[in-house]
Amino acid sequence: MSTTIDMPGSSKAAKAGKPVLVTTPSRPGGWKKGVAIMDFILRLGAIAAALGAAATMGLSDQTLPFFTQFFQFEASYDSFTTFQFFVITMALVAGYLVLSLPLSIVAVVRPHAAGPRLFLIILDTVFLTLATASGASAASIVYLAHNGNQDTNWIAICNQFGDFCAQTSGAVVSSLVAVLVFVLLIVMSALVLGKKH
Amino acid sequence: MKSSPAELISEAKSSTQNSKMKRAVSVLDFILRLIAVVATLASAIAMGTTDESLPFFTQFIRFRAEYDDLPTLRLFVVASAFASGYLILSLPLSILHITRSSARRTRVILIILDMVMLTSLTAASSAAAAIVYLAHKGNAKANWFAFCQQYDSFCERISGSLIGSFIAIPLFIMLILFSALVLSKR
Repeated sequence: MSTTIDMPGSSKAAKAGKPVLVTTPSRPGGWKKGVAIMDFILRLGAIAAALGAAATMGLSDQTLPFFTQFFQFEASYDSFTTFQFFVITMALVAGYLVLSLPLSIVAVVRPHAAGPRLFLIILDTVFLTLATASGASAASIVYLAHNGNQDTNWIAICNQFGDFCAQTSGAVVSSLVAVLVFVLLIVMSALVLGKKH
Repeated sequence: MKSSPAELISEAKSSTQNSKMKRAVSVLDFILRLIAVVATLASAIAMGTTDESLPFFTQFIRFRAEYDDLPTLRLFVVASAFASGYLILSLPLSILHITRSSARRTRVILIILDMVMLTSLTAASSAAAAIVYLAHKGNAKANWFAFCQQYDSFCERISGSLIGSFIAIPLFIMLILFSALVLSKR
């Protein structure tokens, strides 16, 4: 049993000699679509890492159980300007990653479009720099807190504030995970841009 | 489906415009790379030649400061020198991109390497910046003394050497931007 589809409109147009509008089907995504999906998933992971870093650092606080007549021994992220910078910057990075999710979805839907990819790679580079700067500066302070420095007579406060030290170290590690994910995202975007087809 | 002669001419025009743009961007890339070489090299040398001895001393201790005393500053010197060396080695690749505008794979390699160097340079220089900030301001809660009050010229040197690397970092970002821009044009 065969079905025939009668299309009177197109035959009329062909007879009149006018051009018939034919929409070409979009090319199959192939590996570019796979890379774009991977990009989206990695972005979700990076959001978790950046938010975790900001939250862990922001909630770091330790009060020692002993105190003198004049002050109580307390350490919080507030005491260190670098850590304040870290919390704000990581929150910014997490905000950017959330806002870049729609762009990433556009890149999944249209794997061969260069516009979204270019935009993503440039913004990713800028925020990679920001995340690296905040993570590394906090890491140097954490290193100092663990080891101290004999020449400048800076004491390693980790010996006293153990909990605070553990929290800040964890936050720094989480931010470095976010940096690693950024690096992967940029590498993938570069590979996708580099292929002509 | 035949393209009319007018369409062919307009296509040819846009492709020459495209290749002109690519060439201009590649030349700009080369120039920025040269500036970044100078900036990172100056940073490394300025930090690496720090040495200050205070004019007073006790019987047992001599008051002396050099970049070696702080491991973060040592890392900064190494990373700056590394970035400078990489930029010098990438100059031939940049020249190749000026002559052959249609090279795609080498541009991808350049983007990836540039990004890795950007990350390491940013990490080292922001770690050093945190230490320099601490040297200027100290930290009352942790009882960390601001040694800038004693070691004046050492402090000035280490603060000034950070400027070079903070010039090189936006240059790296622009290099990556240019390479990505050229890649996105077919």
